[in-house]
Amino acid sequence: MTETTGIPVVLKTDNGVETPVREFLGQMLDSGAVDALIMPLKVPSGDSFAWILLNDAGMLDDAVPFPAVMPVQGARALRSLTRKEKGDLTVLALMRPCEIRAGIELSKLGQVNTDNLILATYDCPGAIPLQDYVNDPESSEASFKEMFTTGEPGENAKPACRTCVNFSAVDSDLHFGFLGISDEGMLVIPGSTRGAELLQKMDIQSETGDKLLPLWKSEVESILKKRTAARDIAFKKTESDIKGFSGMLNVFSNCIGCHNCQSACPICYCRLCYFGSEASRSNPEALMNQAIKRGGISLPPERIMFHTGRLAHMSLSCVSCGQCSDACPVSIPVADVFSFVAEQTQSTFEYKAGRNDGKPLPLRDFKKSELPGVHELVKDAEPGGASHE
Amino acid sequence: MNKEFKPRITSFLCKWCSYTGADLAGTSRLQYSTSIIPLQVMCSSRVDPVFLLKAYLSGSDGVLLGGCHPGDCHYETGNYHTRRRFALVKEVFESLGLESERLKLSWISASEGPKFARVANEYTEEIRKLGENPTRKSIFL
Repeated sequence: MTETTGIPVVLKTDNGVETPVREFLGQMLDSGAVDALIMPLKVPSGDSFAWILLNDAGMLDDAVPFPAVMPVQGARALRSLTRKEKGDLTVLALMRPCEIRAGIELSKLGQVNTDNLILATYDCPGAIPLQDYVNDPESSEASFKEMFTTGEPGENAKPACRTCVNFSAVDSDLHFGFLGISDEGMLVIPGSTRGAELLQKMDIQSETGDKLLPLWKSEVESILKKRTAARDIAFKKTESDIKGFSGMLNVFSNCIGCHNCQSACPICYCRLCYFGSEASRSNPEALMNQAIKRGGISLPPERIMFHTGRLAHMSLSCVSCGQCSDACPVSIPVADVFSFVAEQTQSTFEYKAGRNDGKPLPLRDFKKSELPGVHELVKDAEPGGASHE
Repeated sequence: MNKEFKPRITSFLCKWCSYTGADLAGTSRLQYSTSIIPLQVMCSSRVDPVFLLKAYLSGSDGVLLGGCHPGDCHYETGNYHTRRRFALVKEVFESLGLESERLKLSWISASEGPKFARVANEYTEEIRKLGENPTRKSIFL
């Protein structure tokens, strides 16, 4: 868990948790502490949300700080704003923890520039699957409200959220914490010196958060325990479902090759991906050869290849946001598999995606002596390689 | 075990060390397994994870990746990156319950003809024991 930097501010929550956040952000805009915000707004049809870059405090009334769904991963919004350059203006983005983590991961990949971004996040109870929300926004809102009050994702949340262990206190500049304390107030916790400076500049007169902070922390801990247990169970199930080539075939057998999981993934940013490139296309002779050897071959080819290839290419940066499962039109539990594999690959390199802890991306780094057992240990491996057996 | 089973081992060998080592094995008239199908790459770090997966899913019973010894890379640090990338693919294989023994990374220098022959023979024997790649007969891929 991230340590708090500086003194948290307490916001009153007499009118729920959304109003004080709106007021706080409005104050930030008015005081010039930030020049603009990135926030979700309901789309005109009313059944989804869109990211809006807004600099008019009046528009905040329509903004929804804590939306029930995650249609476009917020890191994609950050990327569209700062991919070319950091820009001159300070922009505060209020997003789910997994969106902020994906943004941090993209900044390591050179796709997001966080220099002029203030990353703000909150205690996330989870999100409703996008399809459920589009089908029935009203009852989805109701179940999201319940999730929000308890802080626990119920049966109605995305599977990835039910097993998420990074729902609070991730590396951000500001964190809105209300778990276990929402009757008394809401904490605005600075997570970086930049966040602390910003809070100081705003000079909010409030009681200090010293009293509420331990209450909030212990509630976060207790929810973390439950979610960790849920995750362990989910991982075990995925491990046995996916086991072996036949398991892989079973799980991905109804894949229609639409590559939606890739398009929705915040980490898959490459403009030219091998999958979909000219190089990935086989000529008829090669396919015919395969068909002759095997007795037949499914067309289009390379579906398993696509998923395993993506696992190899992006699992080290996977933040387990679950967008891939949400985007799958044939309900393959893509995110379950990717979260599980990501956990293994990241722990191989003692790396945690989405952290801002100064650790470089594992594939950008190496140690001269590491990973024993990956290659055979050769005792005759002298530099110069002069070994004569 | 079927004695007739002859594994196919797709081998990505770096131009500067392992491929030259294989050449040396040949010019030294050392016998080594004909299961090895050598492919020359400019550096072992040229081998993207996708290469290894493609070889595996196309039915290779084993995939061998050969590079210069750590510290000896022609491009100075290429093989250190290879090692990380290879560890990654191996971990993906292991977490998916695929046989990660079908992937092998070996450091063979240009002067190690005998070592190349030994690795080739030993790995072929290992794969022969493991049997045929389960993806070989699958029509769904």
